[in-house]
Amino acid sequence: MRGITPYRQNYWDWRAAGNFMYGGTGSGLIVSSLLALAYGEPTLLHVLIGLVFMGTGLGLVWLEIGRPFRALNVFLHPQRSWMTREGFVATVAFGVGAAAMWFGHALLIAGTAALALLFLYCQAHILQASKGIPAWREPTLAPLIIATGLTEGVAASLALVSAAFTMTMVALVVLLTLRAWSWRRYRLASETGMPTAAARVLAAFSMPFLLLGHVLPLALLIADMALGNRYPALTYFAAVLAFGSGWTFKFMVVRYAAQTQGFAIIHRPARGPRGSGGEGVKPGWGS
Amino acid sequence: MKSPTATPRQVEKKPTYCYQCVAGPDLLTVSVSDGVAVACEPNFSAAEVHPGGGKCCVKAYGLVQKTYNPHRITTPMKRTNPKKGRDQDPGFVAISWDEALDTIADKLREIRQKGLLDESGYARVAATFGGGGTPTYYMGTFPAFLSAWGAVDLGYGSGQGVKCYHSEHLYGEFWHRAFTVGSDTPRCDYVISCGANLEASAGVVGVWRHSNARIRGMKRVQVEPHLSVTGGCSASWVPIRPKTDAAFLYAIMHVLCFEHPLDALDVPFLRDRTAAPYLVAPNGYYMRDPSSRKPLVWDMKTKRALPFDSPDIEPALQGLFRVSGVEVGADNETWQHTEIEVRSAFEAMRDHLAGATPAWASEICDVPEDTIRTVANEYLAHARVGETIDIEGVTLPYRPVAVVLGKSVTNGWGGYECCWARTMLACLVGALEVPGGTLGTTVRLNRPATSRFASVLPDADGFMTQPLNPTDRERWKIKPKSRNAYNTLVPLVGDSPWSPALGPTYLSWLFQDKPPENWPRPTLPDLWFIYRTNPAISNWDAPAIADRMAKFPFIVALTYTRDESNHMADILLPEATDLESTQLIRMGGTKFIEQFWNYEGFGLRQKMVEPQGEAKDFTDIATELARRTGLLENYNRAINKGAACTKLSGDNYDFSLDEKTPHTPEEIWDAVCRAASAELTDGKETDGLDWFQKNGYKFKPFPLLNWYLYPRMVEQGLRFEMPFQERLYRVGQELANRLHEHGIEWWDTQLKEYQALPAWKDFPGIWQEAAIAEGGSIDDYPFWLLTARSMQYSWGANAGIQLMREVAGNIGGHAGVIINTETARKLGIEDGDLVEIRSSLRATKGHAVLRQGIRPDTLLTLGQFDHWAMPVAKDFQMPSLNTVAPMTMALMDATGSGSDLVRVGLRKLDGGRS
Amino acid sequence: MTRYVMVADLRRCVGCQTCTAACRHINGTPPGVQWRRVLDMEIGVYPDVHRAFVPVGCQHCSDPPCLDVCPSTATRKRDDGIVTIDYDICIGCSYCAVACPYDARYKVSRAEFAYGGEGMANEQAVFDPRRINVATKCTFCVDRIDAGTAKGLTPGVDPEATPACVNSCIAQALHFGDIDDPDSNVSKLVRDNEHFRMHEELGTNPGFYYLWDAAGEEEK
Repeated sequence: MRGITPYRQNYWDWRAAGNFMYGGTGSGLIVSSLLALAYGEPTLLHVLIGLVFMGTGLGLVWLEIGRPFRALNVFLHPQRSWMTREGFVATVAFGVGAAAMWFGHALLIAGTAALALLFLYCQAHILQASKGIPAWREPTLAPLIIATGLTEGVAASLALVSAAFTMTMVALVVLLTLRAWSWRRYRLASETGMPTAAARVLAAFSMPFLLLGHVLPLALLIADMALGNRYPALTYFAAVLAFGSGWTFKFMVVRYAAQTQGFAIIHRPARGPRGSGGEGVKPGWGS
Repeated sequence: MKSPTATPRQVEKKPTYCYQCVAGPDLLTVSVSDGVAVACEPNFSAAEVHPGGGKCCVKAYGLVQKTYNPHRITTPMKRTNPKKGRDQDPGFVAISWDEALDTIADKLREIRQKGLLDESGYARVAATFGGGGTPTYYMGTFPAFLSAWGAVDLGYGSGQGVKCYHSEHLYGEFWHRAFTVGSDTPRCDYVISCGANLEASAGVVGVWRHSNARIRGMKRVQVEPHLSVTGGCSASWVPIRPKTDAAFLYAIMHVLCFEHPLDALDVPFLRDRTAAPYLVAPNGYYMRDPSSRKPLVWDMKTKRALPFDSPDIEPALQGLFRVSGVEVGADNETWQHTEIEVRSAFEAMRDHLAGATPAWASEICDVPEDTIRTVANEYLAHARVGETIDIEGVTLPYRPVAVVLGKSVTNGWGGYECCWARTMLACLVGALEVPGGTLGTTVRLNRPATSRFASVLPDADGFMTQPLNPTDRERWKIKPKSRNAYNTLVPLVGDSPWSPALGPTYLSWLFQDKPPENWPRPTLPDLWFIYRTNPAISNWDAPAIADRMAKFPFIVALTYTRDESNHMADILLPEATDLESTQLIRMGGTKFIEQFWNYEGFGLRQKMVEPQGEAKDFTDIATELARRTGLLENYNRAINKGAACTKLSGDNYDFSLDEKTPHTPEEIWDAVCRAASAELTDGKETDGLDWFQKNGYKFKPFPLLNWYLYPRMVEQGLRFEMPFQERLYRVGQELANRLHEHGIEWWDTQLKEYQALPAWKDFPGIWQEAAIAEGGSIDDYPFWLLTARSMQYSWGANAGIQLMREVAGNIGGHAGVIINTETARKLGIEDGDLVEIRSSLRATKGHAVLRQGIRPDTLLTLGQFDHWAMPVAKDFQMPSLNTVAPMTMALMDATGSGSDLVRVGLRKLDGGRS
Repeated sequence: MTRYVMVADLRRCVGCQTCTAACRHINGTPPGVQWRRVLDMEIGVYPDVHRAFVPVGCQHCSDPPCLDVCPSTATRKRDDGIVTIDYDICIGCSYCAVACPYDARYKVSRAEFAYGGEGMANEQAVFDPRRINVATKCTFCVDRIDAGTAKGLTPGVDPEATPACVNSCIAQALHFGDIDDPDSNVSKLVRDNEHFRMHEELGTNPGFYYLWDAAGEEEK
């Protein structure tokens, strides 16, 4: 039975969360291929794995929708729907990515990376357009989603690069810093712009996320760099933490901080004489 | 299963009525699609005639599911396990209608041979129907069968009669032909509502009228321990300590009488329309004229005492007077007085209220003194004393203030005091039975029941006559007619067809195991009919009631689904339900709870879909029972005489049925429809069943003037019997004499209620004492457990309807027991936790529902649940007051009612969060 | 232009859920799917406590977030302001459900009946398989409005052209009509009374006005 206070939405479950997890990492990985490209390293694996990840995410969405055999209707509303746009961008990205893998042309790879970034942008806006879920529509979430997708992608790319390894490490340091900053903005926004229950989820998540997802990997990366990359295990571990924390964060946002807006009245009604009304109420928000 | 678009469906809208609760009847239409009822809607064509805009309430929308509920019993069944009890499987097996009806008829014939009354003088056949008399509107011609049969004990309660507005019924009808009391809502500006949960229990019309009144600016002050739905719709909420409403109302009277000059009150009303100027003699009876024996008043013009009805006098309300006269007490005991000092009844009442200050009441009620004073002053300020209004060309006093009382305020100890205070508050400002004020609705103890005013006749003392059960030595009946002894113990309840169900109905249950001293041996009825009732759930001490029912030798249950009461039955008869059977009833006029119409007439409930399975129209069942018991002629005669809605013949029409042959429901109701139609039109129109099936109802105008008793009182020069209750006091003394003459002393506590001026007693203390009567400490039971009505369920017998459960879930409290948030926090209870509510009797369990709108010392359960047999409902896990509330003599007042109130303890149980 | 809106007079509403039940009947929705429902809201702390009963459902926003997000164009807005769902196009992605700040959308994944099984005769009669696994919500009883207006009837005035919840309301709390017509019932109500719209700050421009007091003379 639906109530009055914001409750945790159940329309989008782990499958939808998976789209943001796989899609974010996949697109981030493809974007990270630009680093490899700059160092003249192979990029096809970036693109291939990235596309597989994006495809997996979309596949999970396909599993979630109620009428999977009407899936093509998803393309009917590019004018306004970020989901349609995500679909279009993904389709083009798959095409261009396939061409990039076939022809190996740097422009095609760069084009795929640009499309992947656009895909990530679409994903961020899918959440932001969800006005019914305050934790999603919060404007500071979109940069955070992009930052974490890129962070995960770059972290994952460490396994695929050699010459670009150091630069990728530096990129990861920058992205982790950016993500931490984005998270902080989001967290602060949650204190006023979200139902109490959602803010509580984010508050509980914050410290472990910052420590395990940012401070520790940054420390490991910097340590590895300071030690002259003699201990790549430190970097790989940092990458795993950066990647894992990103996934955990997105799963948390989609599944646990996903309280609905709830209901509110600005005024309580007069019950009889004029003037017998008063202040309203917004259950589940504020103290 | 097919799509609705597959084939075009034939949809018809059929008019019918809903009378599931006492606040009906309401009108609706049902869409029938290819023979299947699919949806209910208001009857839009009745918007003008029905006082609730032709709408029906949420309960009516349960009727479709009710019809097709797969849990229905759809064939007659018989019990195969002779052992009865909650723990026994009845082993019901399907049988044919012939076998079922023959079994019952055999039993009935056997009973007739033995005699209608048993060795204790009680009827061998008993019947119990659900609350508010509403089952009557679904049982077709069964009343004709009962009439044909003869003596039937209708005194086994199922909660009705004693859990209703009981004191209001009895005293209200006595004082102003008000079986129930309401405000003249369309004209009222200020209402003090002590727990009257109108938005939950006054039906469509109540909600309709009050929402209009709110928009008009009417202020309602809701005085109750928890913030009910009605409290939520009121301008303010006064969270009063349970069972202290009388003190609150007394303090308001005190403010009016002592903090304002006399002329702020309605002096002409008090002087001319009440007994306020009647002189009161020292023994507590009126001072009377020695020759005429009429009560005396002090005439200010001639400065002497004269009979109240002397011409051209000006009776005094206040003062002490030296007067000679006689005083007539119980059993005609007479005192002669010469030149003694006496005071008026009004003065006696003031003296009575002298100590009832707001400060005094504040302590008792836990309500700030200022709040009480403010309510009193607002009440007076809104009363517009002295103003008039024109109603249909007649100028009447206009007093737009009212006091309404709810369940548990108007029943059980304290009910008399509250009703007296309420009626007196109306009298003080002249707001009784006048436009804008406090009005009665209908009569049930006086006859004829079809007219509220036909019984308004003068008695010797200037009041209305009232058919009290006799208490004089010659006519008082030591042998009760009913097992609940209404005619023996409760003079005020009278002896109308409704009286048995309004007596002390739980005495039937209470005496079953443990008869009192000097009382006829309690016997069980040889055969008991039950219909639309579930005493095993709806009575106090419900589990014990179930045990007692298990001892009944033969129970015939008209059955919808299995439930806790028919679990003990021997025969189940599946009756065609609301949409499957036909009946014509009277509608309109004025009727409880807020049904004040501008029309009166008749409405049809029609068979619009075929009955499920073998379910049979109750009229058919009644006819068959009559035929098989050899009572067909009497039965048909009863119908002809009006036992089914109305008489079938009149001055210029005759649709009487042939008395020797059985008739189909269609034939019977066609004749009733024609007679009703003719009655309404002086024989000009004789529309039959087919006309009513199409049109649903037929009305004629009902004068607005008929909403008010006041003009009738003026016409006949009558007075409302307020404030002094000489008649009741005398009756009480006589009843005491009779009982004591027969060595009966177990009713002595109840006899104390017969006071001419009811005094505040420690009413909450009665329940506190009951809690520790068997030992223990009151600290073990720190909370009051109360109930409140739920619109979705009240009277509906619909606990098994999924839709009701679903939509009721949107209203706080339908998931468990309501607990004050802060109280719960102190006890470590969170919303949804499983808790145990334990009284001195036993415990009930449910989930905590935390709310701010309830006193910290109060718990509340909505409705009556705790089912263990009814499909669907048995899975609710809803706690019930009835499980833990004891049923004892100590908690029964003089009218025979108790109250939904019990002291309990509360604790969190491990596990089981909802 | 026409814009149909709902007006809920909170002074009148008693939370009886008659509208909820009527909606379930007329629209044949399965158990638990309440396109119209009434909230029971508590305001304040004991002993200064109040209750408000608040009808909710699809607000038929002028800027509906559900329409923006819908990838299939199943959700549309008609010229008269009514937001509709085409069950034959909807892919059941539930994006609209998370986009709606009014918790107005439902999606059921299988046929559900009040007492289980194959459903009762009345449920079978109104069962619509097109509604399985797609988004559903209040339609303002658009079929009634269209059928009624085709007969020249006025929505909000003539019951045949009026949403079931409004027709059923026993407190006259719910009203329906064209807010663009200055002489309509709803325009008058909104003009003569203090009102607010829920979550207006989200930019939805909802078509559901809540009345809470009479307007002062100066405000009329």
